[in-house]
Amino acid sequence: MTKISHDKVEVVIIGSGIVGSTMAAELGEAGFNVLVLEAGPERRLSDMISSQIWSRRLRWAGPEVRETGDLVGAANFAMGWGTGGAGLHWYANWFRLHPDDFHVRSLYGRSLDWPIGYDDLRPWYDHAQFYFGVSGDDDSNAPPGEAYPMPAISLSKQSQAIKAGFDAEGLTLTTNTLAVNSAPYDGRAACLLDGWCDAGCPIGALANPLVLQWPRARKAGVELRHNAYAARIETDPSGSKAAAVVYLDEQGRENLQPADIVISACHTIWNARLLLLSVSDKYPDGLGNGSKTLGRYFTSHALTTIHGLFMQETEPHLGVAGANTLCLDGYDDKQPAKDAFGSRAWLVGQAAKPNDLLGTALARPEKYGEALDAYLHQASLHYGNMTVLCEEDSMPENRITLDPSKLDRYGLPMAYVSNSLPQANAARSELAKAEGLRIFKAAGTSDAWAGPRNPMHMMGGTIMGNDPSASVVNSYGQVHEVDNLFVAGASLFPTPGAINPTATLAALVFRTAEYIRTHRSELLP
Amino acid sequence: MKGRRRFLTRVIPTTFWASITMRSLSQNAEAKTVENTSHKIFTTTEAKTLTAWCAAIVSGAEEAGVAQFVDQNLAGDQAASLLLLRYLDASDMAGFYRKGISGIEKECLHRFGLPFVQVTDDQRVEMIQAAIASDMQVWTDPDPNFFYFISRSDAVDVVYGTQEGFAELNIPYLAHIPPPRPW
Repeated sequence: MTKISHDKVEVVIIGSGIVGSTMAAELGEAGFNVLVLEAGPERRLSDMISSQIWSRRLRWAGPEVRETGDLVGAANFAMGWGTGGAGLHWYANWFRLHPDDFHVRSLYGRSLDWPIGYDDLRPWYDHAQFYFGVSGDDDSNAPPGEAYPMPAISLSKQSQAIKAGFDAEGLTLTTNTLAVNSAPYDGRAACLLDGWCDAGCPIGALANPLVLQWPRARKAGVELRHNAYAARIETDPSGSKAAAVVYLDEQGRENLQPADIVISACHTIWNARLLLLSVSDKYPDGLGNGSKTLGRYFTSHALTTIHGLFMQETEPHLGVAGANTLCLDGYDDKQPAKDAFGSRAWLVGQAAKPNDLLGTALARPEKYGEALDAYLHQASLHYGNMTVLCEEDSMPENRITLDPSKLDRYGLPMAYVSNSLPQANAARSELAKAEGLRIFKAAGTSDAWAGPRNPMHMMGGTIMGNDPSASVVNSYGQVHEVDNLFVAGASLFPTPGAINPTATLAALVFRTAEYIRTHRSELLP
Repeated sequence: MKGRRRFLTRVIPTTFWASITMRSLSQNAEAKTVENTSHKIFTTTEAKTLTAWCAAIVSGAEEAGVAQFVDQNLAGDQAASLLLLRYLDASDMAGFYRKGISGIEKECLHRFGLPFVQVTDDQRVEMIQAAIASDMQVWTDPDPNFFYFISRSDAVDVVYGTQEGFAELNIPYLAHIPPPRPW
């Protein structure tokens, strides 16, 4: 097939979401000639329609991911499609990994270690929270860092109702830290607390790439090319340098985009898949797979939601979709009981609308007919919820592979994700569920119940490490065998902790951008 | 797709209460037409079956045009689809619904000797309960429990997930950008 060839750029970034757009803005502002390839269509603020039904168009619409195991099933829900990627429907929970999360192997003899520690990332966490705009108060359970640039969003009626349960359990419920403006910030409006976060925030109170990174990147001259689905990365004849990205356009034609530096920033599953697809004589098992760890150590967070109906009115439709409040008490105790392992964090008081996966109706899937109607009328006034995230050990068996027996719409082997929660983590999750039900009972609910265990967030697959024989990239995301090829995003995480990954992946992006800036002469010919 | 099925099956307790009375079932069962609009993917019979099934799960689903909602979105570009199914199994969405509707009819004929639109309210309830409990006798593909989950979500979308539905639940809509139409 004849490829359409394009002029060489200095940097090509695959993916326009939070990771790709932040990297593009950083490198564009540093004077690099940057092109971003986005698989989906162009998005505008006017696409952020306040409706759980209409917001589905912002979610993944690329090739299917095949999944198996007991902690899978949310890939299409989690990923984005179009300008800004998942950054258009993310929940803006903003947490730092704790110091012990970086050294699980050394401290507990299980899972993995990061090649860097909290102190290495701390200045980048500080930088990122001012860049994104984070609201939050001091929390003695959170790792040390600069004060947040905005005060926290105040307690919602839902959180006020639930707080009594935490008090009774002797646990501290604090305000949450969110990349949502509690006051006007950096030219963006303050949040109206109307609970439409995951349908997109067109007023820009929630930091999203359309209002934050892309205006900066465009001003810096970054080019964004839509409907460009990356199919593989090609190397030079020696195999030591990435030479170009081959992508398919809307007509299915192959396009060759040469570049001096290639950065894959297209979400956890697709970062690994793209490298696995990039086979050659020199790399028959995939690019960057000299260690045979490419695709391995995939992790998620084991999530359980506690639901309840309260006597008082809770205004569940108001607030933020992420969480209004937070409990990190006990997070650092990774061994809360014999045979149970992992941290846990409570995210409390998520705004809930009637429909969609996280809506009040699906909180009670067994109800139908008149009972459903009666429940929804009650829930619209009295519903409350909280979600616990539990840590998953990093295991080589949990992995992303290619399934050559199933081809996607472009004729490429589909991604196949296998993830099962280790028994000790499952035991930790069960402890947390029992704790949550106690909290809701103590808070005076008339009815409280736990949802099923589900996955949330996707990490690993292109893990970082100092040892090229046991990891895919170094701590900057630089592929061990190909020094002008970088991977960015949560796929780098050797361990996931038990908190949402965006603050950490953003901190890593800023750190990598700084590395590329300071090694410009070595990376550019 | 085994993982997805297990995920959704776990959502629904198999021991679930059965003493639920249903509103408007007889009205729905007597309906002679689903919508005046012709369908692009479904046959008229398929649309009637899906409508009756969804109306047995969510009162008002027929009037809200649930079959048209599903049909219209199956007929369009998948990237613009408004169906919740796209999160969980987008590999063959039209096939999923068609096979599910076929499963309803096959199971209903096996149990009662009649199509779903012709059985009694109690018999419809029995079918819904069997789907929730994963206790179908001849309907296996797609997983009836998963089909219930998805079709219930579609019905909830059109009845409760619109501005009109919010108003019915006394929830202020508070849109930044209101939807151009319900769906």
